[in-house]
Amino acid sequence: MIRLGRFDYTLVLIILAIFIIGIGALYSATYQNSTQLFDGATGRQIVWMGLGFAAFFLIANVPYHRLLSGAWLFYFICLIFLGLVLVMGHTRGGATRWIQIGSFSLQPSEFTKIGLILLLSSYLSNNRVELRRIRPIMGVFLLMLIPFALILIEPDLGTAVVLIPIAFAMLYAAGANARYLLYIFIAGVATSPIFWSLLKDYQKQRLMVFINPNIDPLGAGYTIIQSKIAIGSGGLLGKGWLSGTQNQLNFLPERHTDFIFSVIGEEWGFLGGAILLFLYLLLIWRILRIATGTQDLYGQLLCVGVATMISFQIIVNIAMTIGLMPVVGMPLPLISYGGSSLLNTMIGMGILMSVSARR
Amino acid sequence: MRIKRLLLSITILFFLVAGGLFFTQVLKSAYYKELSETNRIRLLPIPSPRGRILDRNGIPIVDNRLSYDVCLIDEGLKNREETLKKLAEILKRSPEELLEAATRRSSAPFMLKVICRDIGKEAVLKVEESRLHMPGIIIQTRPLRHYVYGDITSQVSGYVGEIDKLSLSRLKPYGYRIQERIGRAGLEKGYDNYLRGDWGGMQLEVDHMGRQKQVLGERLPQSGRDLKLTLDIELQKIAHEALDGRPGAVIVMDPRDGQILALAGEPAFDPNVFVVPDNTKGVREILKDKSSPLLNRAIGCAYPPGSVFKIAIALSALDSKKISAETSFECSGSYLLGGRRFHCWREGGHGAQRVVDGIKNSCNVFFYNVGKETGVDIISEYGQRFGFGKPTGVDLPDEAAGLLPSRFWKRIVKHQAWYQGETLNFAIGQGFLLVTPIQVLSMVATVANGGEVSRPFVVDRIDDITVGSPNHKRIEISKRHIDVVKEGMRQVVEGDGGTGKYARVKGLSIAGKTGTAQTHTQKTHAWFAGFSPADKPKIALVVFLEYGGKGGSHAAKTAKIIFEGAHNLGYL
Repeated sequence: MIRLGRFDYTLVLIILAIFIIGIGALYSATYQNSTQLFDGATGRQIVWMGLGFAAFFLIANVPYHRLLSGAWLFYFICLIFLGLVLVMGHTRGGATRWIQIGSFSLQPSEFTKIGLILLLSSYLSNNRVELRRIRPIMGVFLLMLIPFALILIEPDLGTAVVLIPIAFAMLYAAGANARYLLYIFIAGVATSPIFWSLLKDYQKQRLMVFINPNIDPLGAGYTIIQSKIAIGSGGLLGKGWLSGTQNQLNFLPERHTDFIFSVIGEEWGFLGGAILLFLYLLLIWRILRIATGTQDLYGQLLCVGVATMISFQIIVNIAMTIGLMPVVGMPLPLISYGGSSLLNTMIGMGILMSVSARR
Repeated sequence: MRIKRLLLSITILFFLVAGGLFFTQVLKSAYYKELSETNRIRLLPIPSPRGRILDRNGIPIVDNRLSYDVCLIDEGLKNREETLKKLAEILKRSPEELLEAATRRSSAPFMLKVICRDIGKEAVLKVEESRLHMPGIIIQTRPLRHYVYGDITSQVSGYVGEIDKLSLSRLKPYGYRIQERIGRAGLEKGYDNYLRGDWGGMQLEVDHMGRQKQVLGERLPQSGRDLKLTLDIELQKIAHEALDGRPGAVIVMDPRDGQILALAGEPAFDPNVFVVPDNTKGVREILKDKSSPLLNRAIGCAYPPGSVFKIAIALSALDSKKISAETSFECSGSYLLGGRRFHCWREGGHGAQRVVDGIKNSCNVFFYNVGKETGVDIISEYGQRFGFGKPTGVDLPDEAAGLLPSRFWKRIVKHQAWYQGETLNFAIGQGFLLVTPIQVLSMVATVANGGEVSRPFVVDRIDDITVGSPNHKRIEISKRHIDVVKEGMRQVVEGDGGTGKYARVKGLSIAGKTGTAQTHTQKTHAWFAGFSPADKPKIALVVFLEYGGKGGSHAAKTAKIIFEGAHNLGYL
């Protein structure tokens, strides 16, 4: 067991605060409509959080160096599950992302993020890897691209895209030649038109709509327009909990998952949104303080990976609700409804706690 | 070092997102607030029932009845096809028709979908009986205009129709709305502003599907104001029946204050046709009818008056001292002017005629002489005093002005000088002169009342406010001369061989003047204008029959029926 004195209470408190805000928003988002989908969503989310904390404490107690040896194994298990999803996955809303295990449905793509962070930490902290040269860097991108492609064809653009900044940030933190990273980035942007043709029609449409939501105000552009109206009409102080008209009158689609920030923005206003952003920023600072507090490259890379994963999701998610980014399926960490995302985030936090406790 | 740089970039990105939030929620907040309100709030107008129109005894002439509409609630409907089939059987409509109405997009999702309008009371009972087998079907009531007396009062009441685009753009500032029913003729048009009332409205909160969630506010409609008329529906019926379907008009008025007791016109129309929903066939029939039933011949059309105009001629000559009551002219059957022969209607002539005889016999030669003595300028001047050539100002819309010719008018409009022969035609009410029946009535009423003029009116009160107060004015004609003409008019009906003897009613003293106006066709217009009792008149009337034959027979006989009717109703 970790000694209580080495336990990072601040981190736990921040997590709890964000989670409680999320539960409030989720309750409000599902308050009016007691359809089957929503029935007991808040309760289930709390149960998932219980499981999340259990995983958190369990992993925090495992010396993180032991995770090193299992990194490759975990990575391959993730790949196998991603393959299984494509073969026998459970389809919701046109996307095949889930595997049904008993009464739970798991989303392997969520855990792949942690899998990649573990593997890259393990790979990059290996002394023999020469990061001044291009080949190992290309190797890292190859490791990233395999799950990336598998997730992309599910399709789950949002989750796939998260893998890219994780790879970049970890390579950068591990000391890779920054110029190579820049070249690769430019090459990636230059070849992105190829990916365009791989996208599904609805994804293309979402990207088109991002440029001008009014081309299809009742179709693909509807979500973004209604979300902007919700957040904008919240004003400085918001309309009050359970009083957001856009939310309560069902104008917001996906408001319990990817668009839950619209509910927060409408009911708590700019003040509520800013406080949430501040809490998230505090969380990121806390995580990276753990990284700077340890001399161990492996521990540092784990922190950088998790911090990048979380902050990228936060930034993209909130930016898309106010129309600053195209709509991609990306949950808001610790807040959006969904067990896999929550569990994955808590596992990441557990790993960080393990690093923190063993500085 | 690199970790700190990462942290810095993440922090910067967070601040950018916060900036985006600030822009959306603080700077553009008002814009989005308005959008969110229009998102959720709908206004549902509630029409107000129009005011009623009552006769002088409070009997409703125009009322509102309930229309029973069959409506559909989508949620409640289990088996739509089957239910509609059952419903079609009860209503005796085709199931396809109902299905089409049921699938039609409704104007607002929170409003009930009307699938069959205005079903009869019997059908309502049948539908209610089988309601249990037809879930989702309900009957909704709605006020609908009801013209109790149909075509009998159509020329007074007018009718309502859906507001057209032009009127809407003009009346929008006064609160008129799209699809509102607006008065199109008669009192419905003239008093629309009072009759329409204030619409109510409901402010509804709706969800993303437009379904009603709750009522935020409600303002009940204010029903329109009632009009109480001077009209007596019983006398109106008599007037209508007296016309007996012949084109023309009858107006009965109290000469003392201008109250119109009856105003009938033929051809008439049934205003209910415009009320019945989806009755385009009936409406088209009325609109395309060659006899123009929508034209109110009592006030909206001008005709040559013929001999009834001799009343004005006689008075202008007497009052301008061109003749006296004793002046006599010899009628030999014709009159020669500049080599042209002007005929009297009686070939053998009337012999020596004073003004009383001239009126009684309607002698043309007498009036040719009078006309020539008086001259066009004085006749025009007195014609104006009697109100010819301009509307009487009766409170019904679309009144015609008629045409009162003069030397000046002819110069301006025809670019010609006035010829003396035209004065002779003018003197017997022919030529350019055009008058409306109500103008003739107004002239006769003025004479009957000894020179006191009152503007004719139909609306006595709006709710409790009296609006039809008589405004007395004196015409600038000496009462002495009027009495002479009155005596002549009494002789017309009561004298031996008077031209209006067919209007005579036993027990009543009646004065009048007939007219048989030549038209551009073979047929003549028949006129009779008169009053009773001859010495202290309580009733004045005008009968006009379009291409209706001779004033002395057809029009006078019609007038007789009305005088009798007025007597039976206690007016005389």
